[in-house]
Amino acid sequence: MSGPISESTVDAGATPPAPTNRPAAPSGGERLVAADRQHVTNAEPQAPASGPSGRSLGRGGRLAATTAGGTLLVLGLRRRSLGGVTAAVAGGWLLYRGLVSSRADSDAEGTRPAGEADQADAAGRVETTRSVTVGAPPETVSERWRDPETMARLYGGLLEVSARSEDRWHWTASGPLGTSVSWDTRVVEDRPGERLRWESLGNAPVDSAGSVRFREAPAGRGTEVTFRFRFEPPGGAVGAAVTDRLGVVPESLAGVVLDRFKSLVETGEIPSLESNPSARGAGDAL
Amino acid sequence: MRALCWHGEGDIRVDEVPAPEIANPHDAIVEITATAICGSDLHLYGGHVPSMREGDIVGHEPMGEVVAVGEDVETLEEGDRVVVPFTISCGSCWFCEQDMYSLCDNSNPNAELARKVMGQSPAGLFGYSHMLGGYAGAQAEYLRVPFADVGPITVDADLPDEQVLLLSDVFPTGYMAAENAEIDEDDTVAVWGCGPVGQFAIQSAWLFDAGRVIAIDRVPERLAMAREHGDAETIHFEEEDVYDRLMAMTGGRGPDRCIDAVGTEAHGTGLMGLTDKAKQQVNLEADRPHVLRQAIKCCRKGGTLSIPGVYVGHADNVPVGPLMNKALAVNTGQTHVQRYLDPLLEKIEDGEIDPSFVVTHREPLEKGPEMYETFRDKEDGCIKVVLDP
Repeated sequence: MSGPISESTVDAGATPPAPTNRPAAPSGGERLVAADRQHVTNAEPQAPASGPSGRSLGRGGRLAATTAGGTLLVLGLRRRSLGGVTAAVAGGWLLYRGLVSSRADSDAEGTRPAGEADQADAAGRVETTRSVTVGAPPETVSERWRDPETMARLYGGLLEVSARSEDRWHWTASGPLGTSVSWDTRVVEDRPGERLRWESLGNAPVDSAGSVRFREAPAGRGTEVTFRFRFEPPGGAVGAAVTDRLGVVPESLAGVVLDRFKSLVETGEIPSLESNPSARGAGDAL
Repeated sequence: MRALCWHGEGDIRVDEVPAPEIANPHDAIVEITATAICGSDLHLYGGHVPSMREGDIVGHEPMGEVVAVGEDVETLEEGDRVVVPFTISCGSCWFCEQDMYSLCDNSNPNAELARKVMGQSPAGLFGYSHMLGGYAGAQAEYLRVPFADVGPITVDADLPDEQVLLLSDVFPTGYMAAENAEIDEDDTVAVWGCGPVGQFAIQSAWLFDAGRVIAIDRVPERLAMAREHGDAETIHFEEEDVYDRLMAMTGGRGPDRCIDAVGTEAHGTGLMGLTDKAKQQVNLEADRPHVLRQAIKCCRKGGTLSIPGVYVGHADNVPVGPLMNKALAVNTGQTHVQRYLDPLLEKIEDGEIDPSFVVTHREPLEKGPEMYETFRDKEDGCIKVVLDP
């Protein structure tokens, strides 16, 4: 990251001093998540599997994962926040590892969730790809994706996105304690009904890029939408804080965004637990 | 408002909670007038269902009066008397268009969580864990109903609650179980479990022209109900060996169609039953698949297994070899309730069936915690509990 910051801003807010690398995980929960990340990375088909922590869990690991997963799931669900949701998802994943790995020992591919090329490494670099089938023609679907109002709703609670102009979008990721980082992207490829691709500007503090591909689905099923999202946070306190906030399991981002997009196109709304009542009060995560 | 909330294994409480609000344009708010406890609620009560949170409102078999509708709701208005299906379905996705409502793509806000565990997410349900939607349940004074044009069915005022309430789940669930069993005329159908779903599966098997229905349970009053209301022959599984008895009854062929209306908390006999129970208690095995094992063993070669009983996770020692070599078909799934509402309401209106025969208890919501215990322990002849909020 070099050059002057012009349209992008970095606001360190009230962050306490922190080392330049990611700070030590403050809680057991987050340490578990870091371990989970490692699992996700290791489970990449092209990565060599090494030992019991590679593709499958031993019995002890399975029990630990199941227990930790359940705990994290519950902890995550208890917090009404993005962190809560992502912790819950991480918990679900660990639970899944714990529950499923015994059956999947001989089938490494089988242990992979719906993600296609998800990974998030220890430095907080995120790369995530998912596909969903939306019941509408590619032109309609692609136009809907381009709608600024749609964009804001897709990323709600994860990232703030607004359109500066048709091809230039302004993004903000907020961390805890008032930290945030903003950057701008521009559209670098725009083929309506086929493909849309954007990249962060050269001087942005965050290296981020994304693309959406629209392809007609077979048997009149609508459009296969493939969404890739890459996010490389800045180093230092802000970056660390933002990545913590952005995703305990940021590889889920593409899945969540696509779920919302599909529901919005097919039903006109995104399923919501915003005011969901319980003995805990009103409102559940996202 | 008052609601029954889950606080952990064996711990359901009456809590004061916020009232629900319209959150989306297709929502409706229903003031609940009657709400039943389902056998599957006992899986929550027993702590067997993952992704429950302390304080979750439970319940998914409600009816009531519409008191508010979102701006895009077209088919309901305030004052309508409705029965609400336990499945939440958008009505627009490919699955809903194929009448596979319990597989709706758009109703689970926590789809990502379900996907991690199952590969794809089924529909969101009321009051049945966060992985399956996280929606507040219906054992409460009010319920927010998403996609209100797709689920709730309006019912005439002259039909008593108890006759129509069970359209929300157990009557369609038993009916779909019989449909899934692929019954041919004069087939012998065996039904494991004589709770409400089993009772409706028995009734429905006759509607599909079964020649003979055999019901299996160990609770005397449930077996009696299967005989008296369901015209079924019965087997008490603790007094007789189920396989031996079924073979004797069918000339060694086995029943043509087998329905597992028990699911995850089957009471196994012998060592395997004990092992399942122990493993479930320490989370090594999420389900106790005793009935499934027995049904696979007993079923006629080339027959069909229909599984309406709820399973939640994974199970050990399921005999897949016999399943494969005997060429059995398996049909299962949460009920596509919306598919059955109109035809089954018609059967009730025509007097062809009166589902209220399973209801043994009707109590105020305040007695909910107590009734969970009574229902779980099968005390006091308890088969179906209806609560009045």
